[in-house]
Amino acid sequence: MSERTGMPTEQLHFEDVAVGDAIPTLTTTVDQTQMFFFSAATYNGHRIHYDTSWASDREGYDDVLVQGPLQSALLARAVTDWIGGAGRLVSFSAQNRAVAFPGEELSFGGTVTATRLADGRGLVDLEVVGRRGDDVLMPGTATVELPVRAQSSTAAGS
Amino acid sequence: MTVESLIPAEVQERVGTVAAVAVGEVYRRDWQRWAVSVEDHNPLWFDAEVARAHGYDDVVAPPLYVQYAVLGVTPLDGLRADGSSGAVSGSLAFPDAPRRMAGGESTTFHRPCYHGDEITMERRIESIVQKQGRSGPFVLVTWRTTYTNQRDELVAEATTSMIARP
Repeated sequence: MSERTGMPTEQLHFEDVAVGDAIPTLTTTVDQTQMFFFSAATYNGHRIHYDTSWASDREGYDDVLVQGPLQSALLARAVTDWIGGAGRLVSFSAQNRAVAFPGEELSFGGTVTATRLADGRGLVDLEVVGRRGDDVLMPGTATVELPVRAQSSTAAGS
Repeated sequence: MTVESLIPAEVQERVGTVAAVAVGEVYRRDWQRWAVSVEDHNPLWFDAEVARAHGYDDVVAPPLYVQYAVLGVTPLDGLRADGSSGAVSGSLAFPDAPRRMAGGESTTFHRPCYHGDEITMERRIESIVQKQGRSGPFVLVTWRTTYTNQRDELVAEATTSMIARP
Protein backbone atom coordinates (compact mmCIF):
# COMPACT_ATOMS: atom_id res chain seq x y z
CA MET A 1 0.00 0.00 0.00
CA SER A 2 1.15 3.55 -0.57
CA GLU A 3 1.72 6.28 1.94
CA ARG A 4 -1.25 8.55 2.53
CA THR A 5 -0.65 11.64 0.51
CA GLY A 6 -3.76 13.78 0.17
CA MET A 7 -3.48 17.38 -0.87
CA PRO A 8 -0.31 19.42 -0.69
CA THR A 9 -0.43 22.26 1.81
CA GLU A 10 0.56 24.96 -0.71
CA GLN A 11 -1.98 25.53 -3.49
CA LEU A 12 -0.43 25.13 -6.93
CA HIS A 13 -1.13 28.03 -9.32
CA PHE A 14 -1.08 28.24 -13.09
CA GLU A 15 2.04 30.44 -12.96
CA ASP A 16 3.94 27.74 -11.03
CA VAL A 17 3.75 25.31 -13.93
CA ALA A 18 5.91 25.03 -17.06
CA VAL A 19 6.05 22.63 -19.98
CA GLY A 20 8.31 19.72 -19.09
CA ASP A 21 7.55 19.82 -15.36
CA ALA A 22 6.96 16.43 -13.79
CA ILE A 23 4.19 15.91 -11.27
CA PRO A 24 5.07 14.01 -8.07
CA THR A 25 5.07 10.26 -8.74
CA LEU A 26 2.66 8.12 -6.77
CA THR A 27 4.29 4.75 -6.01
CA THR A 28 2.14 1.95 -4.67
CA THR A 29 1.89 -1.83 -4.47
CA VAL A 30 -1.66 -3.07 -4.86
CA ASP A 31 -2.50 -6.12 -2.74
CA GLN A 32 -5.50 -8.43 -2.79
CA THR A 33 -7.18 -6.65 0.12
CA GLN A 34 -7.19 -3.39 -1.82
CA MET A 35 -8.41 -5.24 -4.93
CA PHE A 36 -11.25 -6.80 -2.92
CA PHE A 37 -12.39 -3.40 -1.63
CA PHE A 38 -12.13 -1.82 -5.06
CA SER A 39 -14.21 -4.61 -6.62
CA ALA A 40 -16.76 -4.21 -3.80
CA ALA A 41 -16.89 -0.42 -4.26
CA THR A 42 -17.41 -0.80 -8.01
CA TYR A 43 -19.81 -3.78 -7.82
CA ASN A 44 -17.35 -5.77 -9.90
CA GLY A 45 -17.87 -9.52 -9.72
CA HIS A 46 -15.36 -10.39 -12.45
CA ARG A 47 -13.58 -13.55 -11.25
CA ILE A 48 -10.37 -12.53 -12.93
CA HIS A 49 -9.75 -10.18 -9.99
CA TYR A 50 -10.27 -12.67 -7.12
CA ASP A 51 -10.47 -16.26 -8.38
CA THR A 52 -6.88 -17.42 -8.95
CA SER A 53 -7.82 -20.69 -10.61
CA TRP A 54 -10.22 -18.88 -12.99
CA ALA A 55 -7.52 -16.35 -13.85
CA SER A 56 -4.89 -19.02 -14.51
CA ASP A 57 -6.78 -22.10 -15.76
CA ARG A 58 -9.55 -20.35 -17.67
CA GLU A 59 -7.89 -17.14 -18.83
CA GLY A 60 -4.22 -18.11 -18.88
CA TYR A 61 -2.76 -15.46 -16.55
CA ASP A 62 -0.11 -16.04 -13.90
CA ASP A 63 -2.30 -14.62 -11.14
CA VAL A 64 -5.41 -12.52 -10.59
CA LEU A 65 -5.25 -9.14 -12.34
CA VAL A 66 -5.26 -5.69 -10.79
CA GLN A 67 -8.42 -3.96 -12.05
CA GLY A 68 -7.77 -1.58 -14.95
CA PRO A 69 -10.17 0.99 -13.41
CA LEU A 70 -8.17 0.81 -10.14
CA GLN A 71 -5.01 1.66 -12.07
CA SER A 72 -6.75 4.55 -13.80
CA ALA A 73 -8.14 5.77 -10.45
CA LEU A 74 -4.60 5.73 -9.02
CA LEU A 75 -3.35 7.62 -12.08
CA ALA A 76 -6.11 10.23 -11.65
CA ARG A 77 -5.28 10.44 -7.95
CA ALA A 78 -1.67 11.36 -8.79
CA VAL A 79 -3.14 14.29 -10.76
CA THR A 80 -5.77 15.42 -8.24
CA ASP A 81 -3.23 15.21 -5.39
CA TRP A 82 -0.97 17.52 -7.41
CA ILE A 83 -3.56 20.17 -8.39
CA GLY A 84 -4.83 20.72 -4.84
CA GLY A 85 -8.27 21.77 -3.68
CA ALA A 86 -8.55 24.79 -5.99
CA GLY A 87 -7.53 22.82 -9.08
CA ARG A 88 -10.05 21.01 -11.21
CA LEU A 89 -9.79 17.89 -13.34
CA VAL A 90 -11.20 18.93 -16.72
CA SER A 91 -10.57 15.74 -18.66
CA PHE A 92 -8.82 12.45 -18.13
CA SER A 93 -7.98 9.64 -20.50
CA ALA A 94 -6.18 6.33 -19.91
CA GLN A 95 -5.61 3.17 -21.94
CA ASN A 96 -4.99 -0.31 -20.56
CA ARG A 97 -1.81 -1.47 -22.29
CA ALA A 98 -0.66 -4.36 -20.12
CA VAL A 99 -1.85 -6.31 -17.11
CA ALA A 100 -0.57 -5.85 -13.57
CA PHE A 101 -0.55 -8.41 -10.77
CA PRO A 102 -0.92 -7.85 -7.02
CA GLY A 103 2.38 -7.43 -5.17
CA GLU A 104 4.05 -5.52 -7.98
CA GLU A 105 5.30 -2.01 -7.35
CA LEU A 106 3.50 0.40 -9.68
CA SER A 107 4.15 4.07 -10.25
CA PHE A 108 1.81 6.77 -11.52
CA GLY A 109 3.03 10.13 -12.72
CA GLY A 110 2.92 12.70 -15.46
CA THR A 111 4.57 15.54 -17.33
CA VAL A 112 3.23 18.93 -18.38
CA THR A 113 2.92 19.10 -22.17
CA ALA A 114 1.17 22.47 -22.65
CA THR A 115 -0.18 25.43 -20.71
CA ARG A 116 -2.66 28.01 -21.94
CA LEU A 117 -4.99 30.73 -20.73
CA ALA A 118 -8.49 30.37 -22.17
CA ASP A 119 -11.14 32.90 -21.14
CA GLY A 120 -9.17 33.61 -17.97
CA ARG A 121 -8.90 29.91 -17.10
CA GLY A 122 -5.44 28.48 -16.56
CA LEU A 123 -5.43 25.18 -18.39
CA VAL A 124 -2.61 22.64 -18.21
CA ASP A 125 -2.28 19.57 -20.40
CA LEU A 126 -0.46 16.54 -19.08
CA GLU A 127 0.82 13.30 -20.42
CA VAL A 128 0.23 10.77 -17.66
CA VAL A 129 1.45 7.22 -17.29
CA GLY A 130 1.17 4.19 -15.02
CA ARG A 131 4.25 1.98 -15.03
CA ARG A 132 5.75 -1.16 -13.52
CA GLY A 133 9.47 -0.47 -13.54
CA ASP A 134 10.14 0.68 -17.10
CA ASP A 135 7.07 -1.06 -18.53
CA VAL A 136 4.24 1.27 -19.54
CA LEU A 137 1.00 -0.30 -18.31
CA MET A 138 -1.30 2.67 -18.74
CA PRO A 139 -0.56 5.71 -20.88
CA GLY A 140 -2.97 8.61 -20.89
CA THR A 141 -3.56 12.33 -20.94
CA ALA A 142 -5.25 14.82 -18.66
CA THR A 143 -6.22 18.46 -18.70
CA VAL A 144 -6.51 20.37 -15.44
CA GLU A 145 -7.53 23.89 -14.54
CA LEU A 146 -5.39 25.74 -12.00
CA PRO A 147 -6.13 29.03 -10.26
CA VAL A 148 -4.44 32.01 -11.94
CA ARG A 149 -2.44 34.11 -9.48
CA ALA A 150 -2.01 37.19 -11.68
CA GLN A 151 -5.74 37.33 -12.25
CA SER A 152 -6.79 37.10 -8.62
CA SER A 153 -4.29 39.80 -7.60
CA THR A 154 -5.52 42.05 -10.45
CA ALA A 155 -9.09 41.54 -9.37
CA ALA A 156 -8.24 42.31 -5.76
CA GLY A 157 -5.86 45.22 -6.47
CA SER A 158 -7.58 47.27 -9.17
CA MET B 1 -6.33 -15.67 -45.71
CA THR B 2 -9.82 -15.38 -44.32
CA VAL B 3 -10.08 -14.43 -40.68
CA GLU B 4 -13.11 -15.79 -38.88
CA SER B 5 -15.31 -13.04 -37.55
CA LEU B 6 -15.57 -12.95 -33.77
CA ILE B 7 -18.51 -10.53 -33.97
CA PRO B 8 -21.99 -12.05 -34.28
CA ALA B 9 -24.08 -10.29 -36.95
CA GLU B 10 -26.83 -9.39 -34.48
CA VAL B 11 -24.23 -7.70 -32.26
CA GLN B 12 -22.68 -5.78 -35.19
CA GLU B 13 -26.14 -4.42 -36.04
CA ARG B 14 -26.36 -2.68 -32.67
CA VAL B 15 -23.65 -0.13 -33.55
CA GLY B 16 -25.14 3.37 -33.25
CA THR B 17 -27.92 2.30 -30.90
CA VAL B 18 -28.32 3.02 -27.22
CA ALA B 19 -26.83 0.03 -25.42
CA ALA B 20 -27.87 0.99 -21.94
CA VAL B 21 -29.63 3.65 -19.92
CA ALA B 22 -29.19 3.67 -16.18
CA VAL B 23 -30.19 5.97 -13.36
CA GLY B 24 -28.53 6.10 -9.99
CA GLU B 25 -28.12 8.29 -6.96
CA VAL B 26 -24.78 9.72 -5.93
CA TYR B 27 -24.21 8.59 -2.36
CA ARG B 28 -21.48 10.07 -0.15
CA ARG B 29 -20.69 6.85 1.69
CA ASP B 30 -20.36 4.94 -1.56
CA TRP B 31 -17.90 7.40 -3.12
CA GLN B 32 -15.94 7.50 0.13
CA ARG B 33 -15.69 3.70 0.08
CA TRP B 34 -14.48 3.95 -3.51
CA ALA B 35 -11.97 6.66 -2.60
CA VAL B 36 -10.46 4.75 0.32
CA SER B 37 -10.12 1.65 -1.87
CA VAL B 38 -7.92 3.84 -4.09
CA GLU B 39 -6.26 5.28 -0.94
CA ASP B 40 -7.40 8.65 -2.24
CA HIS B 41 -7.81 10.72 0.93
CA ASN B 42 -8.38 14.05 -0.83
CA PRO B 43 -10.35 16.21 1.66
CA LEU B 44 -12.64 17.47 -1.11
CA TRP B 45 -14.29 14.03 -1.03
CA PHE B 46 -14.45 13.83 2.80
CA ASP B 47 -14.40 17.23 4.51
CA ALA B 48 -17.24 19.67 3.82
CA GLU B 49 -15.36 22.56 5.39
CA VAL B 50 -12.40 22.11 3.06
CA ALA B 51 -14.71 21.67 0.07
CA ARG B 52 -16.61 24.87 0.91
CA ALA B 53 -13.35 26.76 1.34
CA HIS B 54 -12.62 25.82 -2.28
CA GLY B 55 -15.92 27.05 -3.67
CA TYR B 56 -18.02 23.88 -3.53
CA ASP B 57 -21.39 23.67 -1.78
CA ASP B 58 -20.41 20.53 0.12
CA VAL B 59 -18.12 17.51 -0.24
CA VAL B 60 -17.99 16.37 -3.85
CA ALA B 61 -17.62 12.96 -5.45
CA PRO B 62 -14.24 12.17 -7.01
CA PRO B 63 -14.65 12.92 -10.75
CA LEU B 64 -14.00 9.32 -11.86
CA TYR B 65 -16.63 8.05 -9.44
CA VAL B 66 -19.65 9.20 -11.51
CA GLN B 67 -19.54 6.05 -13.67
CA TYR B 68 -20.17 3.90 -10.59
CA ALA B 69 -23.11 5.93 -9.27
CA VAL B 70 -25.40 4.41 -11.89
CA LEU B 71 -24.51 0.76 -11.39
CA GLY B 72 -27.59 -1.35 -10.83
CA VAL B 73 -27.89 -4.69 -9.15
CA THR B 74 -27.65 -8.06 -10.87
CA PRO B 75 -29.01 -11.26 -9.34
CA LEU B 76 -26.13 -13.66 -8.72
CA ASP B 77 -27.65 -16.21 -11.07
CA GLY B 78 -27.75 -13.50 -13.75
CA LEU B 79 -23.98 -13.00 -13.78
CA ARG B 80 -21.89 -14.30 -16.64
CA ALA B 81 -19.79 -17.41 -16.02
CA ASP B 82 -16.78 -15.16 -15.42
CA GLY B 83 -18.67 -13.36 -12.66
CA SER B 84 -19.09 -10.11 -14.57
CA SER B 85 -22.39 -8.32 -15.05
CA GLY B 86 -23.11 -7.12 -18.56
CA ALA B 87 -25.82 -4.65 -17.57
CA VAL B 88 -24.01 -1.35 -18.02
CA SER B 89 -22.36 -2.33 -21.31
CA GLY B 90 -25.66 -3.47 -22.83
CA SER B 91 -25.02 -7.21 -22.51
CA LEU B 92 -23.09 -7.54 -25.75
CA ALA B 93 -22.25 -11.21 -26.17
CA PHE B 94 -19.20 -12.50 -28.05
CA PRO B 95 -19.40 -16.29 -27.69
CA ASP B 96 -16.18 -16.70 -29.71
CA ALA B 97 -14.34 -14.03 -27.71
CA PRO B 98 -15.32 -14.56 -24.08
CA ARG B 99 -12.22 -13.14 -22.37
CA ARG B 100 -13.06 -9.53 -21.60
CA MET B 101 -10.89 -6.70 -20.44
CA ALA B 102 -11.35 -2.97 -20.02
CA GLY B 103 -9.71 -1.09 -22.91
CA GLY B 104 -9.53 2.56 -22.05
CA GLU B 105 -11.55 5.52 -20.93
CA SER B 106 -11.55 9.17 -21.86
CA THR B 107 -13.80 11.49 -19.90
CA THR B 108 -14.53 15.21 -19.87
CA PHE B 109 -15.91 16.49 -16.58
CA HIS B 110 -18.33 19.41 -16.76
CA ARG B 111 -19.57 19.83 -13.20
CA PRO B 112 -19.20 18.18 -9.81
CA CYS B 113 -21.56 15.59 -8.31
CA TYR B 114 -22.96 16.08 -4.83
CA HIS B 115 -24.58 13.66 -2.41
CA GLY B 116 -28.17 13.09 -3.46
CA ASP B 117 -27.70 13.99 -7.12
CA GLU B 118 -29.55 11.68 -9.45
CA ILE B 119 -27.45 10.76 -12.45
CA THR B 120 -28.74 9.41 -15.73
CA MET B 121 -26.30 7.57 -17.94
CA GLU B 122 -26.94 7.00 -21.61
CA ARG B 123 -24.48 4.74 -23.38
CA ARG B 124 -24.36 4.35 -27.15
CA ILE B 125 -22.35 1.80 -29.07
CA GLU B 126 -20.00 3.84 -31.23
CA SER B 127 -18.15 1.00 -32.92
CA ILE B 128 -17.44 -2.73 -32.81
CA VAL B 129 -14.37 -3.75 -34.80
CA GLN B 130 -12.17 -6.80 -35.03
CA LYS B 131 -8.44 -6.19 -34.88
CA GLN B 132 -5.31 -8.26 -35.11
CA GLY B 133 -3.01 -7.99 -32.10
CA ARG B 134 0.36 -9.52 -31.32
CA SER B 135 -1.36 -12.43 -29.58
CA GLY B 136 -4.13 -12.90 -32.16
CA PRO B 137 -7.45 -11.39 -33.14
CA PHE B 138 -9.60 -9.42 -30.70
CA VAL B 139 -12.77 -7.37 -30.70
CA LEU B 140 -12.67 -3.70 -29.72
CA VAL B 141 -15.98 -2.21 -28.59
CA THR B 142 -16.24 1.56 -28.12
CA TRP B 143 -19.09 3.31 -26.31
CA ARG B 144 -20.01 7.01 -26.03
CA THR B 145 -21.60 7.81 -22.72
CA THR B 146 -23.23 10.90 -21.26
CA TYR B 147 -24.00 11.54 -17.60
CA THR B 148 -26.61 14.16 -16.72
CA ASN B 149 -27.99 15.18 -13.35
CA GLN B 150 -31.56 15.74 -12.10
CA ARG B 151 -31.50 19.30 -13.53
CA ASP B 152 -30.62 17.92 -16.98
CA GLU B 153 -27.16 19.45 -16.67
CA LEU B 154 -24.37 17.57 -18.40
CA VAL B 155 -22.05 16.24 -15.69
CA ALA B 156 -19.61 14.24 -17.80
CA GLU B 157 -19.08 12.73 -21.24
CA ALA B 158 -17.01 9.63 -21.75
CA THR B 159 -15.65 7.38 -24.45
CA THR B 160 -14.87 3.93 -23.10
CA SER B 161 -13.71 0.75 -24.74
CA MET B 162 -13.61 -2.96 -24.02
CA ILE B 163 -11.47 -5.70 -25.51
CA ALA B 164 -12.80 -9.23 -25.99
CA ARG B 165 -10.44 -12.08 -26.90
CA PRO B 166 -11.03 -15.70 -27.93
